[in-house]
Amino acid sequence: MSQLVEELLRAKEEGAAAVLATVVDAGENGAVDPGDKCFIRDGQIKGGTIRHEEVLKAILREAEARLREERSKLVPLDVPEAGGKIEIFFDVTASPPKLIVVGAGHIAVPLVKMAKVLDFHVTVIDDRLLYANRERFPEADEILVGDMAETLKGRAITPSTYIVLITRGHKYDEPCLREIIHGQAKYIGMIGSRRRVKACFQRFRDEEKIAEEVIERVYAPIGLDIHTETPEEIAVSILAEVIKVRRGGKAHSLSGK
Amino acid sequence: MDSIYHQVKEFIEKGETVAVATIVSTRGSTPREVGAKMVVTAWGEILGTIGGGCGEADVRREAIEVIRTHKPKMVRVDLLDDISSDSPAVCGGIMNVFIDPWWKGREEESSEKR
Repeated sequence: MSQLVEELLRAKEEGAAAVLATVVDAGENGAVDPGDKCFIRDGQIKGGTIRHEEVLKAILREAEARLREERSKLVPLDVPEAGGKIEIFFDVTASPPKLIVVGAGHIAVPLVKMAKVLDFHVTVIDDRLLYANRERFPEADEILVGDMAETLKGRAITPSTYIVLITRGHKYDEPCLREIIHGQAKYIGMIGSRRRVKACFQRFRDEEKIAEEVIERVYAPIGLDIHTETPEEIAVSILAEVIKVRRGGKAHSLSGK
Repeated sequence: MDSIYHQVKEFIEKGETVAVATIVSTRGSTPREVGAKMVVTAWGEILGTIGGGCGEADVRREAIEVIRTHKPKMVRVDLLDDISSDSPAVCGGIMNVFIDPWWKGREEESSEKR
C-alpha cells in the first residue's frame, strides 16, 4: 500500500481534489473484496487494488458526482456485469476553498486570520502597498497590489471561490463587482449600507441591464445579522455567512431562540 | 486527505499493520461527521478520533482484531444510551464505522490473488 499512501499524501500536499473509493460490502459479487480500493484524481485512476473494468467505470462515474457535491458518502452501486450490488465508501477530499478579500482595511486583518484558521486559501487584493503587505497579513497565501478590478479580472474564479468586497468605498467595490458578478464564484459579498447597496444595484439594472437573478446572487449588505460592532465581529459575521453558503446552513440559533 | 496518512505511512514502512477506522454513515446526532477517521496500531494506540467515548473503545477493540486477521470489518456504533446515564454515548445517533487494515504488501497480495 506504500504507493497508494504516497499518492494520497501527494494529492493532499498539492491541494488537489481527490476521491478514495473503498469497497465496504462486496455482496455476492465476487469481482471485488471488502477493503479493495481505487484512488481517483483529475478524472483518472491513480492506484488501488480494484481491477474489474465495469466496477472501475461505475466508481469513476459516481466519483464525479461526489466531487461536485464535495461530500464523502456511502453509495450502493449496481454493476450487473460484475454480478450485482456492492457498497462503496467515497472519501472525498475537496480542494481547499479559496477566499479572495478585496480591500485590505481594518476588517480584512481579522478576516484573513480567521479564514486561515478555517483552512481557506486566502488572497488579499488592494491598490495600496501601505495596506496590502506581509506585516499586516502574515498568514495570507497571496497579497496582490494593483488596481483592484483589474487584478480580479486576471484571477481564476471557480465554483469553490468565495469573494468578499470590503474596499474603502463603493466607488471601488462597484467596478470589482461588475468584474465578477457574471462569474462562477460560489459566494460574492459586498459591504455597504442598505441605501448604498440599493443605489448600486439600481445602477446595475439601469445602466448595465444586468438581470435580476444575477444581482440576487450578491450578498449585500454583507454578513449575518449578529449585531456586530467591532471589525473582528464583522469578520466573524462575514465568515459565518461564507460557511452558511458553503455548507448550506440556515443560520438560526439551534435552540430556536 | 487527512494527515493520518502520514502516520499510516510511517507504520507500514516499518512493516507493521495498522487499522484505519472511518465513519462511513451516520443516523441521528453523532459526535463526528462522515469521513472522520482514526488509526489504531497493533498495540492499541489511537491516532485521531471518531468521537471518543465507549463507541471509540469498541472500535479500538475490533480494530486490533482486524489487524490480527487482515480482514476488514464494518462495526455499528450505537450512541443511544439513556440520557441520564454518565456514558458519553448519549448523542442519540448510530454510526457505521469501516475498519480497514493497511499493510505494506497489501496491493501486491491482492493482485496476485486474481
